Amino acid sequence: MPGLGTSFGRGGATLGPSDLVNSDAILIMGSNMAENHPVGFQWVIEARERGTKVIHVDPRFSRTSAMADIWAPLRAGSDILFLGGLIHYVLENEKDFREYVIHYTNASIILPEEFKDTEDLGGVFSGWDAKNGSYDGSTWLYGACVQAGRVAPRSAGPHSGQCKDGTGAAADLRDCECDPTLSHPRCVYQVLKRHYARYTPELVERFCGVPRERFLKIAETFCTASGPEKTGVICYALGWTQQSKGPQIIRAAAILQLLLGNVGRPGGGILALRGHASIQGSTDIPTLYDILPGYLPMPNLGLDSKNLADYVATHRDPTGWWWNFDKYIVSLLKAYYGDGAKKENDWGFNWLPRVTGDHSHQGYFLEMLDGKVEGLFVMGQNPAVAGPNSRLERKALSKLKWLVVRDMVELETASFWYDSPEVERGELRPEEIATEVFLLPAAGHAEKDGCFTNTQRLLQWHQKAVDPPGDARSETWFMYHLGRRLKEKAKQDPRPRNAGLSALTWDYSLGGTMQEPKVEEVLQEINGYAVADHTLVSGFNELKADGSTACGCWIYSGVFPRPGENRANQRNSRDLWGHGWGFAWPSDRRILYNRASARPDGRPWSERKKLVWWDEQNKEWTGLDVPDFTRTKAPNYQPPKHAQGDEALAGDKPFILHPDGMGWIFAPKGLADGPLPTHYEGLEAPVGNPLYPDQQSNPAAMRDERPENRFASSPDDRFPCVMSTYRLTEHHTSGAMSRMLPHLAELQPEFFCEISPELASERGIENGGWVTVMTPRGIVEARALVTRRMRPLLIDGKMVHQVGVPFHWGYRGLVKGDSANDLVAISEEPNVRIMEAKGILCDVSPGRRAQGKAALDQWNAHLGRK
Amino acid sequence: MPISAFLTDASVCIGCKACEVACKEWNHIPEDGFEWCGQSYDNTHALGAATWRHVLFLEEKQPMGPQLAGIEEPFRWQFLSDVCKHCENAGCLEACPTGAIVRTEVGSVYVQPDVCNGCGYCVVSCPFGVVDKSHEVGTAFKCTFCYDRQRDGLMPACAKACPTQSIRFGELEELRREAQVRIKELQDRGYNDAQIYDPTGSSVGGTHAMFVILGEPEAYNLPPAPEVPTIHLKSAWGAALLSALVVVLVVCLAFAL
Amino acid sequence: MAANPKITEDRLGALREEAVRTGKVQDHGIVPVGGPFPKPASAMSYHGNPVLKPPTWTWQVPLYFFVGGVAGISALIALAAHLFGNAGLLRAGLWLGFAGALISAPLLIADLGRPARFLNMLRVFKLRSAMSVGAWTLAGFSSAVGLAVVCHELILAGYGNDFLVVVEWVAEISAAVSGLILASYTSVLLGVTAIPVWSENRKLVPVVFLGGGLGSAAAVLELLGFLVPVTQFIGIVASAVETLVAIIIELRGRYVDRPLREGAVGWLTRAGAALAGPASLLLRIFLGHSSMARYVAAVCFVIGALISRYAWIAAGRVSSRDPQALFRIQRPAPNAAAH
Repeated sequence: MPGLGTSFGRGGATLGPSDLVNSDAILIMGSNMAENHPVGFQWVIEARERGTKVIHVDPRFSRTSAMADIWAPLRAGSDILFLGGLIHYVLENEKDFREYVIHYTNASIILPEEFKDTEDLGGVFSGWDAKNGSYDGSTWLYGACVQAGRVAPRSAGPHSGQCKDGTGAAADLRDCECDPTLSHPRCVYQVLKRHYARYTPELVERFCGVPRERFLKIAETFCTASGPEKTGVICYALGWTQQSKGPQIIRAAAILQLLLGNVGRPGGGILALRGHASIQGSTDIPTLYDILPGYLPMPNLGLDSKNLADYVATHRDPTGWWWNFDKYIVSLLKAYYGDGAKKENDWGFNWLPRVTGDHSHQGYFLEMLDGKVEGLFVMGQNPAVAGPNSRLERKALSKLKWLVVRDMVELETASFWYDSPEVERGELRPEEIATEVFLLPAAGHAEKDGCFTNTQRLLQWHQKAVDPPGDARSETWFMYHLGRRLKEKAKQDPRPRNAGLSALTWDYSLGGTMQEPKVEEVLQEINGYAVADHTLVSGFNELKADGSTACGCWIYSGVFPRPGENRANQRNSRDLWGHGWGFAWPSDRRILYNRASARPDGRPWSERKKLVWWDEQNKEWTGLDVPDFTRTKAPNYQPPKHAQGDEALAGDKPFILHPDGMGWIFAPKGLADGPLPTHYEGLEAPVGNPLYPDQQSNPAAMRDERPENRFASSPDDRFPCVMSTYRLTEHHTSGAMSRMLPHLAELQPEFFCEISPELASERGIENGGWVTVMTPRGIVEARALVTRRMRPLLIDGKMVHQVGVPFHWGYRGLVKGDSANDLVAISEEPNVRIMEAKGILCDVSPGRRAQGKAALDQWNAHLGRK
Repeated sequence: MPISAFLTDASVCIGCKACEVACKEWNHIPEDGFEWCGQSYDNTHALGAATWRHVLFLEEKQPMGPQLAGIEEPFRWQFLSDVCKHCENAGCLEACPTGAIVRTEVGSVYVQPDVCNGCGYCVVSCPFGVVDKSHEVGTAFKCTFCYDRQRDGLMPACAKACPTQSIRFGELEELRREAQVRIKELQDRGYNDAQIYDPTGSSVGGTHAMFVILGEPEAYNLPPAPEVPTIHLKSAWGAALLSALVVVLVVCLAFAL
Repeated sequence: MAANPKITEDRLGALREEAVRTGKVQDHGIVPVGGPFPKPASAMSYHGNPVLKPPTWTWQVPLYFFVGGVAGISALIALAAHLFGNAGLLRAGLWLGFAGALISAPLLIADLGRPARFLNMLRVFKLRSAMSVGAWTLAGFSSAVGLAVVCHELILAGYGNDFLVVVEWVAEISAAVSGLILASYTSVLLGVTAIPVWSENRKLVPVVFLGGGLGSAAAVLELLGFLVPVTQFIGIVASAVETLVAIIIELRGRYVDRPLREGAVGWLTRAGAALAGPASLLLRIFLGHSSMARYVAAVCFVIGALISRYAWIAAGRVSSRDPQALFRIQRPAPNAAAH
C-alpha cells in the first residue's frame, strides 16, 4: 500500500481487472494471478485473445505462466534487480513517454545537494541513523524546500502508520525548483539514471537468473506498450508484498509505469491483486492497529497525539487533497462519538487509542510469547497455521489467559492446546496450558448481510440468504452485542478510562429473531450524514471540519447518498468498467488518476486511449469514467500564490492526493526505507548483495531475532535452497475453509513441495515420495512433486535450487498436513510489517521427518551442523 | 429442441477446477477419495461414478504455439476439462439392458438413476471410459449434461462456473462451426498442433462434447479412433452362430457314431 | 482445410521451393488420395493412466458363464438324446439344464448393484444389447427347460397324453435353441465391448465358451454316471478345441493378448487351458478305457473351463488398465516417441 500511496497518492489498485482488456501488454510479477484470482484472470485471457502480450516473471512456472506469452524464471527476492533492469532499459533507450513524464511526474524536480544516493554511500541513502535503525528523511525533500528551511515531515516514529495509503506526514512542497529539460545533474530524472546505472541486462542475468535474451525480449515487449496510442499494466500480489522490501518493489513498478506514462490511462496502471474477498475493505475500514478508516493515521503517543490541532498539523498537507484532512478526522470522530464529540473536547480525539509500540500481528505475538498479552479475539483468521513462524505463534497462544475464536469450524487455532505438533512433540502439555479457549460459531457469508470491498476498490453488497444455524452469529451481531454489554458495564464504572466507551454511538436498529443489527445503517453511517437531521451526504465533498457532519469512512462516502439508494447493491453494469454495478471508492472512479489519460491541454492522448477529457463548452471534465479530478478545474488553471488544498494544484496535475499533484518517481516522504527502490537481498539469501557488499539487506527491516525465531546466514551451508510459500487455487489460505470441505479437500489432499528434476536427482528424491524441509525455524514433511516447472538458476556462477511450498495444511480437517509457516520467520518490513515469506533459505532431504519429539532432535541436529 | 453441445478449449483453460467443484456441488456428488498421486496437479485421476468433470494437467516438452516458456528446451503446461462425450452413437446407451440409458430431447445421453439396476454392462461398453458404477449406490453414474438445469433454460453448472469460457455451451452445429473457426485462428497464431477432437469419422458418429486440444489425443487419454462397440455385433454373433452350428453337428455326430 | 488444390508437378515443385527458401510451407498442402493417413502411434498416454473402466462384475458372473453354458448345452444334448432315442441322457440332460437355470438367475441377480431391480431387465428387449438378449434368453430358457422337465416327469409318472408329448417336444426344442443362445451369447457379451482383449478376440471367445459349455455339459453328465461313447466323443472334441485355441493365443503373440500370456492372469489362463485342453484330451485318448481316467478327465475339464471363465474376465480387467492396448488397436505400429 505505501508503495502505491507514495507513488500515486492512494494505496490501492489503480484499475480493475476488466480494464485489462484495454492493455497492450500485461506484466504479471510477484503474482500467480490465474491461480489466485481465476475469475479476474478471465480478463487477461480475453486481452491475450485480442493480441495483448502477457508476460509472467516468477520463480515457478505456475498456472499463470502456462497462459502467458512470455515467461521468465526469477530468483525469489531479486525483483528490484529485475525491475531496476527494466527502468535502466527505458532510460538507456529513451523509451519514456517524455511529455507525460515532464508534466505529470516529479522527474524534473531538483533534489538538494544534501541528498545522497545509495550509489554514493555504498548502500544507504543520506540520513541513515545506524544506531536507531531508521532514516531521517529531511534530505529527501525537494531541493528548494530544504533551501527554504522548511521543516522535514515530522516523522511519527518507527511505529507510525504514516497513512499507509498516502504520503506520510505533512510537508510543504510548494515552489520547488525544477528542470523541464531533465538535464540538471540533481534533477530526479538524472538521479534515477545514476541510481539504476548498474542494473544492466548482464547483472539481471547473473543475479536474477533471467537469461539475457529473455530479459531483453520482455523489456522490449513491455516498454513498447507506452505512448499516446498504447498502454501497459503491471499486476502484482503477495510475491512482492511478502518480502522485507515489498513496498520498494512496488515503487519500482510504479516508477516504471510513470516513466512509460501508463498511470491513469485505460489498460494502464498497477493492479494490486489483494488476497481475500474483502481484504481491501479490511484496510479501508481497517483492522490494522496504525490506521483509522480512510487511511487516517492512528495517533502515536507523544508524536502527534497531544491534541487534535497538533495531529492535524502533522498530517495535513497544505496543498493537494489532504488539505481536507481535518474534515475527515472530525467527521469520523463525530461518527464514533456522536453528541459526545464536541469542539470543546477536541471532538473526542483523546478517546482514540494511541500507538505506543509495535502492535502489529507479529509485534503482539512476540509479546504474547513473553506473557504480556492477556487475551485475544481471533475472528476469521487462523494464526496457528497462517501466521509466520507458526510454531512460535502456537506456543504464544498457550501464554494467553483467554482466547476467543469465532469461526465456522474448530480450526487449528482453537484446538492448538490438545491437537498441535507442539503437544505431539511434548513442547506443550495441555494440563499446563492456562489459556481458557472460547470457541464460538460464526455465520457464513450467505448467512448475513454485509459488504465486500475487493481488490479493485469495489464495494459489493451481499444479502443474507438463510439464517445461520443454531448459535452461529455474524460478526456484526457479535461485536454489536459485545459492545452493548461492555457499555452497560461501563455505565456502572464512571472512571475516565470508560468515557470513550460510553460516548461511542451504538444505536443501530435490531431486527429478526436474533436481534441482528441492521447492517445497512452501518453503511449509511460509513457514507456519512449531516449531524443535525441525519440527511445522508452525497460524497466527501460535503464533509466539514466543524462537527456538522459525521462520516465513518471518507473514502466510501457516496456509497449511500440517499435513503434506499445503496450503490453497493446496484447490479446494472453499463460498461466495461462496471459503472452501475457496485460502488468503487472514491466516488465510483474506476480508474484512478484518470486526469492523466488526457494531455496537459485536456484533450485525450489518442482516440484509442481516451478516458476522460475536458469539455470546453460545458467547462467541465467528462468522459467514460468519473473524473478523478475537480470537475470544473480547467486544464490550464494556474494556482494563485497562496492557494491551499486542491486549489493549489494546477489543472495539469493528476495525482491530487500528493501535495504537488505529481506522480512521484522519487518519493520525498512516506517510506521508512528510502525514496528510491534499491536492490537489497532478503534477510536470508544465497548470495551477497552484488551492488552493495556492505549492505546486504534492507537496513530498516526488522528481524525480531530471538531463540525461537532464528535466521540463517547469507549464504548458509546448512540451508542451500531458496524457498517461497504460495497458494493453490484449490485451497484458501490456512485451509480452514477448504480442507474441511470434501469437494475442495479432494482436489489437493496432501501437502506437497515442488522440486526441480535437478534437485531431485541430486538428493535422491522421487516424484510421489516424501521430503523433509527444514529452516532455522522449523521442520516439516511434504510429498515430493518433481517437475520441470521448477528449475535451478545459475546465480553468479553458482547453481541455486528453488523449491515451492504451498501453505494450506494444518493438523485438522478432512485432509491434514504439516504447516509451511513453521518454516517462515517473523520479520517486519519497515513500512507495513509484513513478514518475508519469499526467497528464504531452507534445506530439502528425501524421506519423512521423524515423528513426535524425535522431529525436534532431527531438526536440532541439522541446525547444529557446520 | 436444439441439440446441446459442449466445446471445451484447452488453449484458454487455466486448470482452476471450478468446473469439477460446480458439478459436484450442483449434483450433490460425494467426494471421490483423498488420494494424492503426484501427477502434476491432478488428484482427480479420471472420470467416474463420482467425478463427472475431470481437469487434466499435461507438462510437455513442446511449445505452446508461439509462447516463450522453456529455456534450454521447449516446455508447456496445458489443461483440459474432460467430460462425458455424449456420443452420437453411444456405447453405453446401446448396451443398457434395462433401458435406463436414454437419449434426451436435448440430445444428451442420460442415465435414469431410478431404473438402472447396476448390471455394469455400460461400464465396459464406453469407448472413452466415462461411465462407472458407484459402489455405495450400486448403479451407474455419469455426467447428466445438467439435464435438470437445461430443462429450466439454464446452462450446465460447469459451463456457468468456468471463468475463461474454456467450457462453451451451445447448439451442436453452431459449436461445430465455432470449433473450426477457433482451430484456424489458433493455427494462424502459431499453435501448429491445435486440433478438434470430435470423432465424426468413426462409428461413434461425433460427440456432443467436443474439445480443442493441443497435440495428439493419446496425450489426454482420448482414444484416437474410438468405436462404438456395437459395430462388432455382426462379427461376434456370426462367430457365435458358426460355433453353435458346429456344436450341433458335434452333438449329432456323437449320438450317430 | 481449403479444398484440394489441383495436384500437379508444378505445384509440388513450388512447395518444395518454398520449403527450401523459407523453411516452412504456408499452405496446408495436398491431401493425397486415400488420405488423411493415420499417424504412427507414440508411447504416450496421460501419465500412464487407464483410459477405460474395468468390468465391475463380481465372482458370480464367471460362475454364471460356466453354469449357463452347461445348462444350455445340456438341453441341446437332451434334445439330441430324445431324437436318437437315448432316454437316460434325455432325462439327465433336462434335469441338468433345469438345475443350471435355477442357479443362473440368482447368480446374475446377486451381481447386480441393485438386485431388487432385476426385473427391470425385462422392461425392454434390445437386440443390439447382448446383455438384454441374454436376460430374455435366460428367462425363456428357464421357462422352456422347466416346462420340458415338468412334462417329461409327468409323462414318466404316467400322466402323459398326446398334448403333453407335443408340449414336451416344443419345450425341448425351445430349450435347445435358447440353450445354445444362452451358452454362446456370453461370448458376444464380452466381444461387443470396448475392452481390447475382449473385442479383439470376439471371434475366438465364442469358440472357447461354446467348446467349454459343450465339454462341461458332457463332463458333468459323465460325473453323473454317463460314461458312454457320446460323452467321450464330445469330451475329446471339446478338449481338442480348447487345446487348439490355447495354441493360437500363444503363437499369435499379439500385444493386445498380453493379459492372457503374462503375469498372474496369464498363468490363470494357461492353467485353465491346460486342464480343459491337453490334460483332458490326453487322458481321454490314451486312458479312455479307464473309468477313473474319464472321471479325472471330466473333472479336469470342468475345473479348467471354470478357471478359464475367470481368466477371461480377469484378463479384461488387466486389459482395461493398459492405455497402450487400446491405442495400438486404433493406430498402427508404435514408435518410442517421447512424452
